[in-house]
Amino acid sequence: MARDPKYDILFEPIQIGPKTLKNRFYQVPHCIGAGSEKPGMQAHHRGMKAEGGWGACCTEYCSIHPESDDTSRVSARIWDDGDVRNLAAMTDRLHQFGALAGIELWYGGPHAPCMESRATPRGPSQIASDFELNIFPRYMDKDDIEVVQQMYVDAAIRAREAGFDIVYVYGAHAYLPFQFLSPFYNRRTDEYGGSFENRARFWRESLYKVREAVGDDCAIASRFAVDHLLGPISIQVGEDGVRFVEYCDDLVDLWDLTVGDIAEWGQNAGPSRFFEENHEKPFTGQVKAGNHTNKPVVGVGRVTNPDTMVAIIKSGQFDIIGAARPSISDPFLPKKIEEGRPEDIRECIGCNQCISRWEIGGPPMVCTQNATAGEEYRRGWHPEKFHPAANREKSVLVIGAGPAGMECAMVLGKRQMSAVHLVEAEKEIGGCVNWISQLGHSDGKENLFRGSARGLGEWKRIVNYRQIQLDKLKNVEVHIGSRLSTEQVLEYGAEIVIVATGCHFATDGMNAATHAPIPGADASLDWQLTPDQVVSEAKRVGQRVVVLENEAYFMGVSVAQKLAGEGHDVTLLTQAAEIANYMDYTLEAPMLHRDLDRLGVHIHTYTMVDKIEPGLVHAYDVWNPAHQEQFEVDTVVLCTARISDDQLYRELKADKDRLESEGIEGLYVIGDASAPRMIVDSIFDGHRLAREIDSPHPEMPLPFIRERRLWGEVSNDDYVQQLRNTADVALA
Amino acid sequence: MSGVLVIAESRRGELREVSLELVTAAREVAEAAGGQLKVAIIGADAEQVGPQLGAEGVDEVLTVTAPQQHFEAHVWQKALEALIDSEQPSLILAGHTIDSLGFAPATAARRALGFATDVTAISWADGPRAVRGAYGDKLHSELEFPGKECTLLTVRPGLFSPATPGEGSVPVRAVEANLENVARTEHIEFVEATAGDVDITKAEFLLSIGRGVEDKDNIPRFEQLAERFGATLSVSRPLVDAGWMPSARQVGQSGKTVKPRVYLAFGISGAVQHLAGMRNADTIIAVNTDPEAPIFSVAHYGAVADLFEVADELEQALG
Amino acid sequence: MKIVVPVKQVAALDEEFELLDDGSGVDPDFLEWDLNEWDTFSMEAALQIRENADGDGHEVVVVTVGDEEAEEGLLSCLAKGADRALRIWDESLQGADVLAVAKVLAAAVERESPDLVLCGVQSSDAVYGATGVALAGYLDLPHVAVVKGLDYDAAQATATVERELEGGLVEVLRVEAPALLTIQTGINEPRYATLRAIKQAREKPLQVSDLADLGLEEDAVGQAAGSRAVALKPPEPGEGAEMLNGSPAAVAARIVEIVQERMSG
Repeated sequence: MARDPKYDILFEPIQIGPKTLKNRFYQVPHCIGAGSEKPGMQAHHRGMKAEGGWGACCTEYCSIHPESDDTSRVSARIWDDGDVRNLAAMTDRLHQFGALAGIELWYGGPHAPCMESRATPRGPSQIASDFELNIFPRYMDKDDIEVVQQMYVDAAIRAREAGFDIVYVYGAHAYLPFQFLSPFYNRRTDEYGGSFENRARFWRESLYKVREAVGDDCAIASRFAVDHLLGPISIQVGEDGVRFVEYCDDLVDLWDLTVGDIAEWGQNAGPSRFFEENHEKPFTGQVKAGNHTNKPVVGVGRVTNPDTMVAIIKSGQFDIIGAARPSISDPFLPKKIEEGRPEDIRECIGCNQCISRWEIGGPPMVCTQNATAGEEYRRGWHPEKFHPAANREKSVLVIGAGPAGMECAMVLGKRQMSAVHLVEAEKEIGGCVNWISQLGHSDGKENLFRGSARGLGEWKRIVNYRQIQLDKLKNVEVHIGSRLSTEQVLEYGAEIVIVATGCHFATDGMNAATHAPIPGADASLDWQLTPDQVVSEAKRVGQRVVVLENEAYFMGVSVAQKLAGEGHDVTLLTQAAEIANYMDYTLEAPMLHRDLDRLGVHIHTYTMVDKIEPGLVHAYDVWNPAHQEQFEVDTVVLCTARISDDQLYRELKADKDRLESEGIEGLYVIGDASAPRMIVDSIFDGHRLAREIDSPHPEMPLPFIRERRLWGEVSNDDYVQQLRNTADVALA
Repeated sequence: MSGVLVIAESRRGELREVSLELVTAAREVAEAAGGQLKVAIIGADAEQVGPQLGAEGVDEVLTVTAPQQHFEAHVWQKALEALIDSEQPSLILAGHTIDSLGFAPATAARRALGFATDVTAISWADGPRAVRGAYGDKLHSELEFPGKECTLLTVRPGLFSPATPGEGSVPVRAVEANLENVARTEHIEFVEATAGDVDITKAEFLLSIGRGVEDKDNIPRFEQLAERFGATLSVSRPLVDAGWMPSARQVGQSGKTVKPRVYLAFGISGAVQHLAGMRNADTIIAVNTDPEAPIFSVAHYGAVADLFEVADELEQALG
Repeated sequence: MKIVVPVKQVAALDEEFELLDDGSGVDPDFLEWDLNEWDTFSMEAALQIRENADGDGHEVVVVTVGDEEAEEGLLSCLAKGADRALRIWDESLQGADVLAVAKVLAAAVERESPDLVLCGVQSSDAVYGATGVALAGYLDLPHVAVVKGLDYDAAQATATVERELEGGLVEVLRVEAPALLTIQTGINEPRYATLRAIKQAREKPLQVSDLADLGLEEDAVGQAAGSRAVALKPPEPGEGAEMLNGSPAAVAARIVEIVQERMSG
């Protein structure tokens, strides 16, 4: 099917300096955990997007020198010829698909702790990083300035050699050029500090030098936060923000605009629970609208809707649609619009799991929606191509249509299994997503800072996408409202049975801290609830609520948000140093804390519950159990351990003779039914099993390529031959 | 055979509006068809209801008094056959209604009539011609009825504007039919349908709201507006995404596909996935501030207006 | 007891489709075939009545008029529990109209002399809503259309049914078997077939008959037809939306007018 003509504008080429961008889809720089040291992952992850139609793809931030070393977080590096060689794998791959390759040259100043290089970062003034702990820069005198500017130039020349088309001087997220520009960092009194022109001098000179060096061959781009979101103490869009764009407009071929800084970069990579599509428009949208530039502008805002993209371009907000997360969630987003099937777009849900792995520092990126993200090279997974299974004559029964079951059935369908039945006990597919997506919105009111308490509604996209795909698959039948007994499963007639029956919350306070139930905890009582019962409104919730937050991710705080938004007095107790620890990694924590404060939620950390009595929760300080505290309550929410619903699996597995006599050749358990986990991992688990359903032992994951230096001589083919799935193999 | 015969409908003593729409439809072809335009009403209340059917252009009102208090398919079938015998019409128009579906096809089969249901347009060229939808109205099928002396069409309600009721100046004639012992079902009672869970796929009138409502606090007023209007409230995905409404109310590819008689959209821009779920509604009315909103490409009626101002006025108009 | 369930394999159009060059129909490449949704409910109603009846020897027979494409639908009914299936096809049935199909079904049903005939209210592709009642007309069977509640008393051979009327009103009435009912969606929750039942359905009797087998003359279809399709066309391209101009009050007034007009009848 041809694309809808209303989307033609998204496919018009546009000139960026000496380069032509073939369409308006642009993957802005974002981290994936590959850097220059996992060249296979780097090349194949970006290459997948090029194959999917993105007109340009960039590296993540790319260090120009060992003085800008972000270890343990993973950046790209272009320090030497070895890095040139590894990054050239990426540019080659992009060029095969007609996409431009961009590189984001980065010097972090005090934000880069240099834990591997042991170098000393330099900065405009000696003020410790507001992002890293206790990292002070060395004050840059004029010689230092020239040295660092030469690092940019040398890196740019190496980037050209590596085949990059677009070279960034990266100043957004409060890295070095921005540190010079912003009075929040820059306290200098020389010609690099004070007035706007002085503060802009470092950046302008750096742009000039890089342009002189490679500008004839490469497009020069700059990423710039038009507003630091700190008010008058730093850059504001209406003041120095647009002024800087005007001031350096002659030196760039492309503006890549953002907001905020690295210390709270969730203001830029906004999670869906606080920010909606195109949320940066009030800031970044002012630049073109106010005629402050004559150059193309790319910007972001987790835009997944093609109509929004058209509106952004037509309204003159941006010329080019930038995307990081939407391109991870669906590398084929442009192709799907071009082929007239926008309903197939796998939309980003804004959970920021991708970001969490960078924040944790090291693990490869993951994506809730796209289980193949980061697996393109090491497992050979392609998000849109599926090898027909070698055992596709088999029929499969998948029990439970939660995240793992939906994904598994969908992939099995795409692998052309003869018949796949996905059977769900509830009235609709989606499993835990159906109630989780109702959490956290509290009252939808504006937050204290920016954004609003939108809740987890967009997480429902996990179900939306799979539902549309399952509907399209002729070999997959979905049956709802059908709870199968062990006997029914045995007699179902499937040769492969996959159990994806999820998990439930402990009702007795069993938890990870004490490894024991909490005396008095009992969610069968009408005043004690598990989180799902809060959503189902199965029980009346009293005025004073204590939520035991032992889960360390979104659950306890989202319940607190919901109940506080409804007018309850809520107290959160956690044994940990912080509530919802993992939400630091997903960048949701700062906005969450603002919202909990707005809603009047009381937070007690390092506080473990001792016992629960009617009307009273007894707790103690984990560092001094003698220090006791009591909380008067009407309702207690037990957000403690989760327990697999694996009874069906265990019963099936127990009778091997019966399995054999019924013709069941394979029995597997996936997702929370195997072990409770995050949704991103449940979907991966379901996907993984379906990808490897025809391997000798499907329950055992196949090895993946480990990109580490091997001693002695090695050929790239040695790696690829290990794989069973390879994205490049022509389909049968 | 000549002339056009309209089969009117009443329920519990009240004339149903489709009857007067059929009069309008019949008037448009009566002249070409030749002969008289007659309107028949069958039922225990035929004589009471009859005079209202004497609208302008109607030559005669016919009443067939049935022994049953309420509609009974086999009695109505027999009455229709009696009318065909006595009046010899070349074209019969009935409503495409639940009652008509209960007897008209049986008569068409037994009398070998020309026959089509759910007709949306009628013309005359050496006999009747009719247009009806195919494949869920994605196509139109044009039909003719060769060799048929009499053709029975059931006409989709809501397409023709109702004729003004008569005031008793048109002659009314009772037609005799032997309807004793014809009934084969026994009426027990009427009950109001129980309001189960909301099922927007079954609703005939959806008032649908989208991102344009801006704030969760604005939703209750649209719930009330829908209630006053006799509509069921549905929503586009952004409102479900925002957690403001349950997904059971969501129209679109990832929600429910709906085909109501009227789809009234407030503040819905019309993303592809949304349009896929509602584009086959019979009548689409869209109110949106953005004149470029894609929903206007599928709407039958559009207004570029502030949805809150229009909602204010609707609230007043509906009292 | 025997229940006959006439079903139809319906075609859905792809979002983009092409007509045949002569305009007589849709290019089959753009059609997707499936069992009519309404018929899944009539089939379920039949299976439930059979299961609730005392004793053995009860039978649910599924019948369709259609070419080989229709066999898939019959197999799905057999998989769900129908006892046997009959597919009627003859080249002259190509493009047959609603009365012709009802005529052919009538011949088949008459031979079965069932206690109940359960049809779907309508098919999703043609949407005539008439096949069942026309069939009843041919056979002079008592009939009730648009049934959304059904309670069959096998001992008394009596069905108490709810007829769904416009505007949320329901009529409760009673009819004696043999009778024909047209079944509305939502009356029950149709079951699905397990993989084993799907495999086993292929072992169940599925008979294919032509017109002669049913004792019908070759021209029976043409004779019975109630209409002839002259042309199949896409709807006239609309002028786009008719824009309602004026003050919010004027817009609101027009909306009320349009809604009342469309919702009447």
